[in-house]
Amino acid sequence: MSSALSLAHEPVTGIRHGKLGMWIFLASEVMFFSGFFTAFIILRNSNLSVFAHGASELNWPLAALNTVNLIVSSLTMAMAILSLEHGNKSKFQLYMGITFLCACGFLVIKYIEYTTKFAHGIFPGTNSFFGLYFTMTGFHAIHVIGGMLPIGWMLAKSFTKRGYQDWERVEILGLYWHFVDLVWIFLFPVLYLIF
Amino acid sequence: MGAGMTAADMQKSYIKIFGALMVFTLLTIVAAKFVHFPESWGGLSTILHVTIGLIIAIAKAWMVVYVFMHIKFDNPYLRVFIYIPLFLFCVLVFALTVLGGPTL
Repeated sequence: MSSALSLAHEPVTGIRHGKLGMWIFLASEVMFFSGFFTAFIILRNSNLSVFAHGASELNWPLAALNTVNLIVSSLTMAMAILSLEHGNKSKFQLYMGITFLCACGFLVIKYIEYTTKFAHGIFPGTNSFFGLYFTMTGFHAIHVIGGMLPIGWMLAKSFTKRGYQDWERVEILGLYWHFVDLVWIFLFPVLYLIF
Repeated sequence: MGAGMTAADMQKSYIKIFGALMVFTLLTIVAAKFVHFPESWGGLSTILHVTIGLIIAIAKAWMVVYVFMHIKFDNPYLRVFIYIPLFLFCVLVFALTVLGGPTL
């Protein structure tokens, strides 16, 4: 089952291929989000009042709640990996379940934020600030959904008869999940707070 | 996992980092929403808010990468995947803000 991951260690780096691949992917993800932050800095510096006004219309307490959501899910993900590594199946299921629920909660709050903006007639095309706001948070939300799929899959699999023991795969998923948290750590002050 | 670290040690360090992340989140909200610099400071006040917000964000990001993403315990070779994109990103932000003119 874990043939792809149980290959002999790569001779030079001594890092498993799966983990190395995820780190390379995450490095490319840094570049991907850097593009948006670059656009944000350039457009902000030439439209200071538009950006200040746009940021003041965002609901920062909801975003703060979402920050807590992601930090909790990061902790439970780390605990889930630790639990599975030490063969504690029920704790793994508990922590993965909490992680999944936090991700659901994040999306629900995001949905409330978006629909409130739409109800006020604010759309991605409204101005450059909201264009970037919807693009950046939208891509981030897609990353959250992308993480929920394997989280849900591993969790569901652990309830089957065969169970799920491949903690190294969960660790690789964890790297991705912590990165999603990391992007939000920057999005939260940049979009909601620092004006 | 970490050399000489038991599961209980790992759990303890995770919870410590979790607490620190919560405190820093509170700190960044207080600094941005409840700390007001004098009006006479003008643009400097914005620069201070941006700087404080980013410093706290970088500190939080470092804690996540170092402990949650196991960089503290893992093969040091992996650090290359953090330092290179981080360096490029810092150059980019520096060029756009500090060198980009007095618009901040």
